[in-house]
Amino acid sequence: MSKTSALIFGFNKYALEIQSNVKTKYDSVKIYALAGQEVVGSEVEPELFDLGDEWSSIEKCIQEEESIAFCVLEDNAENIFLTISLRAHFKDLIIIAIASNNESANKLKMAGANKVIPLVETTADIISNVLERPISNRVLQSIIYEESLLKIEQVKIDNAAFFEDKHISDIDWSRYQGIIILSLMHQDMSHEFIYAAKLKKKPISNGDILVVAGFETDIQEFKKLIGSK
Amino acid sequence: MLKRVILDVAYFLNSSTRYQSFKLSVYNILENDKNRFKKYVDIVMITLIFISVTVLIREVKHPVSDSLVFFSNYVISVIFFIEYLLRLWVNSSMSKIIVTRSEHDSFLSREPNLTKAFQEIFKTKMRYILSVRAMIDLLAILPFFHELRLLRIFILFRVFKLFRYARSFHTFSGVLATKKFEFITLAMFASIVIFVSSVLIYVMEANNPSSPINTLFEAVYWSIVTIATVGYGDVTPITTEGRFVAMLVIISGIAVLAFTTSLVVSAFTEKLDEIKEVKNIEDITKLESYYLICGYESIAIELSKKLQKSQHSIIVLDSDASRIDKARKDGLIAMNYSPGSVDSYSKLNIDIKKQVKAILCLHQNDIENVYTALTIRSMNKDVFILSLLMKDANRKKLEFAGINHIVYPQELVGMITKELVGKPAAFEVIHQLRSEYTNVDIDEVALTTRIVENFPTIGSLENKKYKVIVLGLFKGSSDKFYFNPLDSTILENGDYLLAIGYSVFISEFEKSLHMKVENV
Repeated sequence: MSKTSALIFGFNKYALEIQSNVKTKYDSVKIYALAGQEVVGSEVEPELFDLGDEWSSIEKCIQEEESIAFCVLEDNAENIFLTISLRAHFKDLIIIAIASNNESANKLKMAGANKVIPLVETTADIISNVLERPISNRVLQSIIYEESLLKIEQVKIDNAAFFEDKHISDIDWSRYQGIIILSLMHQDMSHEFIYAAKLKKKPISNGDILVVAGFETDIQEFKKLIGSK
Repeated sequence: MLKRVILDVAYFLNSSTRYQSFKLSVYNILENDKNRFKKYVDIVMITLIFISVTVLIREVKHPVSDSLVFFSNYVISVIFFIEYLLRLWVNSSMSKIIVTRSEHDSFLSREPNLTKAFQEIFKTKMRYILSVRAMIDLLAILPFFHELRLLRIFILFRVFKLFRYARSFHTFSGVLATKKFEFITLAMFASIVIFVSSVLIYVMEANNPSSPINTLFEAVYWSIVTIATVGYGDVTPITTEGRFVAMLVIISGIAVLAFTTSLVVSAFTEKLDEIKEVKNIEDITKLESYYLICGYESIAIELSKKLQKSQHSIIVLDSDASRIDKARKDGLIAMNYSPGSVDSYSKLNIDIKKQVKAILCLHQNDIENVYTALTIRSMNKDVFILSLLMKDANRKKLEFAGINHIVYPQELVGMITKELVGKPAAFEVIHQLRSEYTNVDIDEVALTTRIVENFPTIGSLENKKYKVIVLGLFKGSSDKFYFNPLDSTILENGDYLLAIGYSVFISEFEKSLHMKVENV
């Protein structure tokens, strides 16, 4: 089920940045500030929460199947406690958390976060790519962050008959309909590179999700061919 | 008339670019450690010294061919003599002294007084001639007059010339020089003890027929051997009084030895950081290309690890000593200098244009990053500067300071989140391609003239054989990226292929491009 509400826990520069980036994707975006935090004079009016309370008031407002939570408290220990509290109350809630480093990222995963963004490592990764792979960095940057005609998208195969019982490895994907197939996505969102040995004998079947790179029009054409709904 | 000629010649030499640059080149080759030819000159001179000494040792008990003796006595001496004259020449400028004196006199509306100028030249040159180094150089030339047998022993002075070429000796003497006062005090103390004990032992022992100390020289010899705690035992006091003096000298000797040792140790301990710093500066000068990291905080620490893994050289500058310690523990060349000071770069011999690949301002403080960027821009307009931005309000200031690439971590979080919730699949793939912890990689393959001669089009590449996807072609000539180019696309020198695949397969693919070239 697609999510309709975003809950951002923590009232800081990260929260505001996330809010401005995701507000078009959700019907409602709420920011929760830690009780006692200075919020006066801010353009955004956050609601308050307390790490020590029973979450009873928030529990009523959260529809866990329709919501996604962002844990962005700057104190690592508090952020981990927040994540574990949310997971304890909302078993199926998607939780995305930020961590200052890999050590905290591991703890956040243990605390139940679905996805963790380690700030230091991510920033260092970006800088390292700028320095070492300037061209690929530019290309990937334009694909994911900018309004480029070039896209990377996931497409679901609903018309496997189109491939006439071929195996994944039998097809020259690099020249397919002007698009490039990069990987096959599993149910758990993990990926298998298209040239992986595991995919050698895998027949193409309905329900397979391919991750493709290409121009938007070409991807739409490809979707029509494979009956992607 | 003669005065006029001398002045004209002095002015001519002083203003002649060719003469001055030639003199500077000679100076650099002989004296400047950073000159790339100096080490070759040093090696030649050291070899000549060893040849001389080998001939001397061989001559003691074996016949040596006349040609080798001639080479040792005349050829090497002449070479050393030329070296001596050149050093004397480059040590100071006679023409400059004459010109300065002439300018000085004309300013005071007087006739140029060349006598004073020559006196000054004489003093300057004599100061050099009487220096220890110059004296050793001169003594090393004396074996030229080998007919005087005594002078042959001066070949040994050539060994002392080695000190001129051994940099560690300069370091050692430099360190000891810092304790000059203490060493003089120690020498005075030791001299007094030696003098007093020599006289005492002579008085006590000289009249005793069975005592081995019969002369004042033997008494001094005994004193020095005893105070140095060497104690050969060839000369020993036999009278009770003499033995009493011996006990005092032995105790004094222990004190002198302990004091000397502690002086040397403390001199080195105090200078250890300085010695290490000099060594680090030498290492920096030797590096051909490196990243300069200004500010060693969390992101810099993580980035350094990644760059180190890719075998890049890194220099860290930070004015905070504790962060520099951390960087050194992490195996980096780190210097406790302010990256915001022009002086730091000149002290560290950093040639931004020639050596620095990129400057990374990674202080988690916009003020420091702007300050550093402006400092660098004041020295070099072209070097690539990347900086962290901590507050978006300061973005324009960083751009104005001439920073080429700004990384704003907060913005990254926002964009990553947007992508993560909007296109999780694309995000995961790109994350996988960017991360160094997965096997699948995206790499840039540079195309050289020789590669494009053998693989003229995209279709001629054998990437499929290596299970490598060519995502696109970056055309260096037009600065454009062509996604999934057609087989007929022509490859050119300076283009880059963006290849996706398993890291090992990509490197095999790259190798195959070069292999075919080699096989032609």
